[in-house]
Amino acid sequence: MDQELLSDTFVDLADTMVADFDVIDFLHLLSDRAVQLLGASAAGVMLADPRGQLRLVAASSEAVRLLEIFQLEGEEGPCLEAIRTGQPVSEPNLRHAQQRWPQFTTAALQAGFTAVHALPMRLREQVLGGLNLFRDQPGPFDPADMRIGQALADTATIGLLHERNLRRAEVVGEQLQAALNSRVVIEQAKGKLAERLGLDMDSAFTTLRIYARDHNLRLSDLAQTFIDSDPADFPGLTPPAHHRHSQ
Amino acid sequence: MPQRAEDEAGGDDASRVARVWKLVSAQAASRRGRASVADVCVAAATSLDVSGAWVTAGDGINPGQAMCVTDVVGESLAEVQITLGEGPCHDAAVYGVPVLAADLADGTEHQWAVFGEAAGRAGAAAVFAFPLRIGAIRVGVLGMYRDKEGPLDTLQLGNALILADIATMLLLDAEDGQADDPLSGAPPASQSPDLAAHHAEIAQATGMLTEQLGVGITEAFARLRAYAYAQDRRLSDTAHDIVTRRLRLDPDLPG
Repeated sequence: MDQELLSDTFVDLADTMVADFDVIDFLHLLSDRAVQLLGASAAGVMLADPRGQLRLVAASSEAVRLLEIFQLEGEEGPCLEAIRTGQPVSEPNLRHAQQRWPQFTTAALQAGFTAVHALPMRLREQVLGGLNLFRDQPGPFDPADMRIGQALADTATIGLLHERNLRRAEVVGEQLQAALNSRVVIEQAKGKLAERLGLDMDSAFTTLRIYARDHNLRLSDLAQTFIDSDPADFPGLTPPAHHRHSQ
Repeated sequence: MPQRAEDEAGGDDASRVARVWKLVSAQAASRRGRASVADVCVAAATSLDVSGAWVTAGDGINPGQAMCVTDVVGESLAEVQITLGEGPCHDAAVYGVPVLAADLADGTEHQWAVFGEAAGRAGAAAVFAFPLRIGAIRVGVLGMYRDKEGPLDTLQLGNALILADIATMLLLDAEDGQADDPLSGAPPASQSPDLAAHHAEIAQATGMLTEQLGVGITEAFARLRAYAYAQDRRLSDTAHDIVTRRLRLDPDLPG
């Protein structure tokens, strides 16, 4: 465990929550740092949609295969179990998990992942979602790392809800839905920017995040404004003139 | 006898969307019409244990307009919010998030002094407002009220969100002038109303089309759907081809 990065991570998460807060940006920070800190090859955050499904809201990579695995997890898999039981679910060797989660296991192995650990995101008796860790080597995740992982997941849960008054029971539904909507706005903005600058989706996302930070904007506010804007409104998100004319 | 949501639309899987859709299309069939937001309002009122429901159309920037209401109380709740520019539906439209006011009389929770009083006089104790949106595409608000205070339970909340998704698609259809197409009794097979399951690629492709076609996001989504429909392809497959740059849409051709 990189102690310095761990300290930095809690400082960054706290900063994000104190400053102008964007839930999707925050959950992406969480999945990026989960990879760097917890010995994972990939990570993702899934939220329990009040409609009765799990939805991916942030992942450490946009690799299509990884996203497909998360999509399958809406039906079966460790994250679904962690959310249903409120307990961490671990499978140190996915080659032994074919019967437990047939589709999920096949997809995960094909993508090169051999171990998985899912941590629930809990708030009192409610489970809002899960932090999902994948590794490309079999073997158990380090228990001390997983305690840190649970602390990160719990911090994220508080972050997810912190904007609002937790005394009201309705808040969780409101906030989950707001987060799911923000994710769609950001995907739309990624598409617009990717097309404009000829980028892949990963690079488009990174460009949007950096722009939001540099200009002190919330990522989802930037995404919404960018979608509604003319090219002149965002000179930093416009290609050089010669590039545009050559299209 | 109203059907309970628990009977008709419970469960925990994608077919839940199909069951909620059935409530709407059954309502349309009973009046021998094409499914519309009016049917969504009736389905909400009969299945969610609420006293009435309404839909307003609007982009969240300009004042909306009421499209349908199930009763006079709903009508006055919809109109007073448009007039005052205040209330849960107004907030849902402007901020794009659900606003669930389970007890309007509890002044510590909400800031709507004028609306709260007007709602009480009209006979509403709780109001729930759901924005009709797909990401940056905003078309209106689904509102509902109860004459007694109390929150929606988890199942009712989920079904209300699914009804909001269906209302969103129906309003977009109406805007596209597709009111005469023959798809009245069922959702287009290729374009499920399960908006929440919309693949990230559909959102990305919609964003890409704003640039390719030089149009706004709502128009871009209409063009994406029209293209998929005309080619008899699934929306998600069409979106995938756009995102992987195998398909470009031509700005000069409609659909």
